[in-house]
Parts: sequence; structure tokens; C-alpha cells
Amino acid sequence: MSRISRMTLFMVGFRAHLLQAVWNFERQQGIGWAFALAPVLERLYPDRATRTERLAEHTAYFNTQPTLASFALGAAARVEEARAAGQGDAASMARLKSALGSTYAALGDRLFWFTLRPFAAACGVLLALTRPQSMSGALVLWLVYALPHVGLRAMGVLWGYEQGPGVLSGAFRERLEWVVRVLGVLGCAVLGVVFAWSLAPGGEPRPIAVQCALAGGLGLGLLTAQRARPSPTRWALVLGILGLWLALRR
Amino acid sequence: MKLPLLGTLIAGGLATLDATPVAQTLASQPLVTATLLGALWGDWSTAMAVGTVLQIMAASTLPIGARTPEDYAIGGVVGAGVALTIASQAPYEQVRQAASLVGVLAGFVAATAGVPLLRAQRRWNEGLARWCEAELRAGREGALSQVHVAAIALAFAIGLAHCGVWLGIGGLLAPHVARESLRLAGAWHLLQPLWLGFGFAQLLHAFVQRRIERAGVFAAALVGAWLVIVAGGP
Repeated sequence: MSRISRMTLFMVGFRAHLLQAVWNFERQQGIGWAFALAPVLERLYPDRATRTERLAEHTAYFNTQPTLASFALGAAARVEEARAAGQGDAASMARLKSALGSTYAALGDRLFWFTLRPFAAACGVLLALTRPQSMSGALVLWLVYALPHVGLRAMGVLWGYEQGPGVLSGAFRERLEWVVRVLGVLGCAVLGVVFAWSLAPGGEPRPIAVQCALAGGLGLGLLTAQRARPSPTRWALVLGILGLWLALRR
Repeated sequence: MKLPLLGTLIAGGLATLDATPVAQTLASQPLVTATLLGALWGDWSTAMAVGTVLQIMAASTLPIGARTPEDYAIGGVVGAGVALTIASQAPYEQVRQAASLVGVLAGFVAATAGVPLLRAQRRWNEGLARWCEAELRAGREGALSQVHVAAIALAFAIGLAHCGVWLGIGGLLAPHVARESLRLAGAWHLLQPLWLGFGFAQLLHAFVQRRIERAGVFAAALVGAWLVIVAGGP
């Protein structure tokens, strides 16, 4: 019979919001991982000395994409439960964390960082440009990202616990991959609309100099995007300083 | 003026928290913080002008793995905060536009300057983590909660202080910006679309990923939307 209640798993999901609070170069998410898993360990190990020993073990290095870390936390809770019943050891837990960390990072980075975040930003900017007098741009940006992020973070622990380490394989993984592909295509379409609106907001074409600046920025941006360094921010900063210098020199 | 300034400082601290230590819901993104600050200062157009440019640049700045990217959480608050501070002192349209230019530049500089600060914060976290591990091995499990409270307080204080420094500099720049507002407003008219185009390119690059059919979707959407917008316009 399960010794870990849904309430305990909910607490783990809630604490997962602080997974990166003590993020550092040495252990990365290690301390946050131990903090999130603490309610499960409290349930499984009534003896204080054993519990703190397990907590100290869990502070070891861990890093993955923070949203999907919830699935790893759920899977780890299940393995820890088996360990408390006498199956498994510290080495098997370390191997599990290492395997899940890299696997979930590979999927999560593409889904959240490379796709959902730019997509949310594109939707937000589109609304901010077309409806500048309303809060809808900020609200949509926030909701498009935060709803799946918070939802998966809360439910991920439960799903990870129910299905174990293989939770993000098979059909569920394929669905997430499909979402990545669809959002990529939709993002291109949204950007096309944003660019068209920037050229002629409300159907009124902007002056030719402004249209040239937009097109020039797009061309320069596509050229500089081929290399990771200097970063886009540094390029934008250089363009701004150059523009400022030219303006003040006139 | 004191209340919006105080609100901006607190927003700096809260944005720093949302960016990495707590929740990561994107409430710290420049468009969101600029919208809130615009409502707080009662100058929506300046805040949105700055927030949109910074947002489009922030969207392609990603915190992958152990990389320390530019800190657009603080850059967004600083950019909008500096622009609103300057614009509030001389509420004319050209001063607003000049303030937007200076605000965006301040946002870029603050985001870039935030990188070494973030690294320092993460090194301080190393010290906290080592202390926590030693305490746990000594049997004191309360150390986990204490170290989280300390790290969150540290992040909030850094965000607030960083924001405060840039708002102070913005306040000092205000008279100069007002004096040069005509020329700066002229530069804003060209730099804003240049930055937007540059930012769109970064996003497009992220979405297209060298797939020709996706580039086709962008082109089709651009042409289709242009026709609808222009034909459907007044």
C-alpha cells in the first residue's frame, strides 16, 4: 500500500517552485531538490537521524529544466518509497537522478525555453502592438507560459509518482514533441502577423525610413543570429549607442 | 512620485525573484513588468514602448543549463523605470520619446551588468549550500528552510539595490534628456523599428530552425496579414 499521500505529493509540487532558490554552480538545483522532496522523506523515515542522512544525500548535484523537474521528483518519490521498504540503495537513486536530469532537460529545454517562451513573447508583443491601450499583451504572455508551467509542475509530481521513471517516455513524450512542432509553426505565423502590423499599424503604412529600419533590423538580426557571440543584447546595445552618438552629433 | 518610485524598487526585487529563485512564471518578463509600472506611474504609452522593445530582445535570451544569460528581469524594470522617471519630470511627447530611448538603453545596460551580479549571487549561494549540507550532516534538518529564506532574501535585496542604482542614475540624467529631447526623439523614431526588426529576427531564427517550410509559413503570414491589414484599414 502506498505510504505517500496525494497531499504529500501536492506539497512536493508546491515546494518545486523553489527548486532554483539556492541555485549555485557547484550543486545547481541540488539543495532545492532536497527541499522539495523533504515532505516525502518525512513521511517515509520517521527516524530523524535516517531522514537527515537521506536529505543530505539528496543535496547532491542535480540539474534539469525546472518545470519537468516535477516529473523527476515524483519518480524519485516512488523509488525512495521502495528504498524505505528495503529495495534499492543510494547509488541507484544517484543513477536515477542523473538519467532523469539529462533526459528531461533535453525535452524541457526545447519545449519551454526554445518554443513556449518565444511563442508566449510573440503573442504578447502582437497584442501589445495591436492593442497598446490594454493590458492584454502582458496578460496573454504570462498566461500562455504560466498555465502549462504551473499545471505541469503541480501534476508532474503525481504523474511521475504513479508511472515511475518512465513517465516521460512513449505516448506522453510524443505528445510533447508534437506540441513543440506545432508551436514552432504557429510562432512563425504569429511573427509574420507582428511584422506586417509593424510595417502598417492599423492599415496605415509607416514612413519609408521606418519600414527600412524594420527590414534592416530583421536582416541584420538574421545575419547575427548565425553566431552565438556577441549576444543579441550586445548587438542591440551597440546599435543603440551608435544611434545615440549620431543623434547627438547632428 | 515617491510611491511609484518605491513600487518600481519593489518590482525590481520581485522580478529578480520570479526570474530564477521563485516560481519562474514569466511575470518578470519586460512586457509584464512594464505594463504594471505603466499603470503605477500613470504613463501607459512610455512604459509599453520600452517594454515591447525589451521584451522582444528578452524572448531570445534563454537560461539554458548553467549559462548565465543577460538579466532581463531587472533590465525590464530598470528600462521602464528609468523611462518613466524621466518622462514624469517633463510630460511632453518628445520628452517621452527621448525617455523611451534612454530607458531601452538603460534596460540593455542593466541586463548586461546583471550577468556578473547573477554570477556573484550564485557563488554566494554556494556558500549557503555548503553551510546547509554541513548542518544536515550534523542532524539539523531546519537548515534547509533557513537556507531557502536566506537565498530568497539575498536575491530580493540584490534586485532592489540594482534597480535603485539605475533609477538614481536615470534621475540624474533627466535634465540632460529633457534638454536634448528633440534630437533623442528623432533617434528613437529610427532606433525603435531597428531594434524591433532585430528582435523579430532572433525569434524567427528560434522558430524556423533552418526548416524551409517554416520560413514559408512566416512569409505567407506576413503577406496575408499585410493584405488584410492594409485592405481592411481605414
